[in-house]
Amino acid sequence: MLLHNLRIAWKSLRRNVTLSVLIVSGIALGIAVSTTFAAFRHAFSKDPIPQKSDVLRYVRLDSWDPLKPYPGDDPSRPPTQITYRDMQGLMKSTIPVRQGGMFVSNFYVYPDPKVGRPFRELTRLCFSDFFPMFDVPFQYGSGWDRKADAGPDPVVVLSQEMNHKLFGGANSVGRTVRLADRDFRVVGVLAGWRPNVRFYDLTQNQIATPENIYIPFNLLRPMQIRTNGNTDGWGTSGASGFEGFLQSEVCWIQYWVELPNEKSAGAYLDFLNAYVLEQKKTGRFQRPLNNRLSTVSEWMTDAGVVPKQATAMLIVSLLFLAVCAVNLVGLLLGKFLARGGEVGVRRALGASRADIFLQHIVECELIAVLGGAIGILLSLGALAAMNAWLKTIAARGGFFRLDLSMILLSVGLSLAAGLVAGIYPAWRTCRLAPAMHLKV
Amino acid sequence: MEFGPILRSMARNKVRYGLIVAEVALTLAIVVNCVNMIGDARREMARSSGFDDDNILSVRSTPFVPAFKEDGYLDAAVRKDLDAVKAIPGVVAVSNTRFLPWQGGGSSTTTRVLGSKGEFLRNQVYNADESTLETLGSRLVEGRNFTRQEVESDTRRLREVTTSNRPPGADGKPLEKISQDIIVSRAFGELLFKDGKSLGKGLEDEDGDQYRIVGVIDHFYNPYGWPIHEYVMFFPGYARSFQGGSAYLVRVAPEKMKAVRPQVEKVLLAANTGRNVQLRELTEIKERFQSQSALLVRILSLVIFLLLFVTSLGIVGLTVFSVAERTRQIGTRRALGARKLDILSYFLLENWLVTSMGLVLGVALAYALNVALVTRLNGTRMDAGLVIVGVGLLRLFGLAATYFPARKGAAVAPAVATRNV
Repeated sequence: MLLHNLRIAWKSLRRNVTLSVLIVSGIALGIAVSTTFAAFRHAFSKDPIPQKSDVLRYVRLDSWDPLKPYPGDDPSRPPTQITYRDMQGLMKSTIPVRQGGMFVSNFYVYPDPKVGRPFRELTRLCFSDFFPMFDVPFQYGSGWDRKADAGPDPVVVLSQEMNHKLFGGANSVGRTVRLADRDFRVVGVLAGWRPNVRFYDLTQNQIATPENIYIPFNLLRPMQIRTNGNTDGWGTSGASGFEGFLQSEVCWIQYWVELPNEKSAGAYLDFLNAYVLEQKKTGRFQRPLNNRLSTVSEWMTDAGVVPKQATAMLIVSLLFLAVCAVNLVGLLLGKFLARGGEVGVRRALGASRADIFLQHIVECELIAVLGGAIGILLSLGALAAMNAWLKTIAARGGFFRLDLSMILLSVGLSLAAGLVAGIYPAWRTCRLAPAMHLKV
Repeated sequence: MEFGPILRSMARNKVRYGLIVAEVALTLAIVVNCVNMIGDARREMARSSGFDDDNILSVRSTPFVPAFKEDGYLDAAVRKDLDAVKAIPGVVAVSNTRFLPWQGGGSSTTTRVLGSKGEFLRNQVYNADESTLETLGSRLVEGRNFTRQEVESDTRRLREVTTSNRPPGADGKPLEKISQDIIVSRAFGELLFKDGKSLGKGLEDEDGDQYRIVGVIDHFYNPYGWPIHEYVMFFPGYARSFQGGSAYLVRVAPEKMKAVRPQVEKVLLAANTGRNVQLRELTEIKERFQSQSALLVRILSLVIFLLLFVTSLGIVGLTVFSVAERTRQIGTRRALGARKLDILSYFLLENWLVTSMGLVLGVALAYALNVALVTRLNGTRMDAGLVIVGVGLLRLFGLAATYFPARKGAAVAPAVATRNV
């Protein structure tokens, strides 16, 4: 029956090709625009690590200036990073199954002279837990162990790209790389790790690809490494020099913990609060108790990962789709009502009103599906153009994509638009009095 | 022209005309808000830095040879670089400063009027040498520029202070205070001193270090995360280190950028091979900084265009349908003596009424949408002029979209009325 309806619907579309093209292209434009902007926003907002997003927590402590809140959109938020002193305090907790602080620095890499000149590269300093905590995939070898953290041993993990650049893509585990003033032993090579948003460090350049080099955090002191990330300071700088910086109130370290369940999350928040209350006795943390233990998505919201313009554009594009649907109602009404004779014949031959209604709804959905398919193709083109644009400014490709959820969304939107736009014209058509249209 | 028949016919087809009203209203709301967003982006893009953007080249030198770790070597290398670049024909001025316009950030600190109990105000802070102002193309409106002697002595002095661990006193602030001469932007001077007279006055930061204003420049703009775009202080000194490398700005004579750029790279690499040199023109940096706004403008323009297209389509569709449905009535009217013009004006008037209702509703919707965007998403309020222009534009589109199908209707021959179906 449905197949029969479809066949009639197709014939009806073929009858007036110009009108059909107008109708279908109207809905196609609506779907193209709304799908494009939904995918645009989705590229920023989608969960970068769905399998672990609720066990990973980002830690913030309000160690800021007693006189005024940390600057930003929302004065109730604590600083985005923590101090070195507090990181050392937090590392003592045994509640998290995995944890660690991290930051980025710029290092000179001295490759084999046959490979090329020395070059500077962003390098992440982190603990061994970093790799299992974020499910980082490895092509060769693995991350380092906790013994290497304690050493600290000069070991390094390279990205796939860096391994390609330095060792031509061969298994380089066990070979050495010279970074700054010492030799590092390669222990692992990543397998093309490409989260859309660099969720583990949202303090800078949030959509950059992960760094190409990783070394143990504790090399900080022996190598006197300065951060290349944001440093947020307040009040007096206190003692200067490297050690002075480490002991200062400057916030510059990102801190993550992995807490397997709500109970451990509760226990850890208690630990944080107890830690801060203890610190208050020494004259630090003069602000009200304001510790945050944020899930990945909460932290992404606070860090403003989704550009506000993306949300505004999504709203505009959905309104655009609404205009297209309203437009479709008008066009369908004209098309269907002009067909009184045909409907009259069908009714006279025994078709019920429901049959006529169904027939016209099927026709609307056919139009919507055709329009939706064209719309999806158009939005693929638009996203490709946006990717090309992003490549010129941020040197990364494939950022905007139509994944399954976006395709389902746009199919859903098309069907909904077809249904919403079709109900009234179909209802009007099935109510036409057959006798009127049979007279000649 | 009588409104009666038109209104009565519309009342009998409420839904059909209601749809056009809704479509026009939504279109107006969206178009006006999109144009408003475009206006915001364009205003942001049109802001001038006050510097000679078109003729400035940024150079970053990052050393990898350990010799650069030695301060004397580093100082000599900077001086050698400056002299070498200055000697290139077509170079107007060259400066060693960490300041880089249009990068969308920089460094900042907080200061207040010396001896006041006021709040510490955030401002941008960069080093400058004796040629920085000339290189940027900034005009000194009051006071004096830094001298080379002062740049060199302050560089030494600052290094001595920061490499020694400044021991803190009882208040936690360093015992040994630094005092420096600075040049500020006029906007920052006016922020600090309500009468605008900042020359010769003193500032202090939260460490108790002191600053004396010796010069004021007229215009400064550098986009920053915090709202401190126009507030700056420059202190005398060279900026160079092994880890951070050294940064230069080079100002070239107009139209000379293409010729000078490769020369700068060649000269610098010849002066010292133990480093990498990265060159970027300020126009590239500015373009990259503004690329997001530029994309937004393009996308929104496209959305507006498509929307007007779709809405016009809807109006054309409605009129074609109206005309087709009333072929016989038109024939009858024509047979009874109506002119083509009467038929045409009937349809145009009908459209005028429908769009008017849509536009009234649309103005309300446009403001509602704007309020939502302002409160939720930091948009800006739109002004009434924009709404008026939007109304006029849609009116024009509505009439154009009606005119062509209506003219076809007007061409219906009176004889049609006499035919059977």
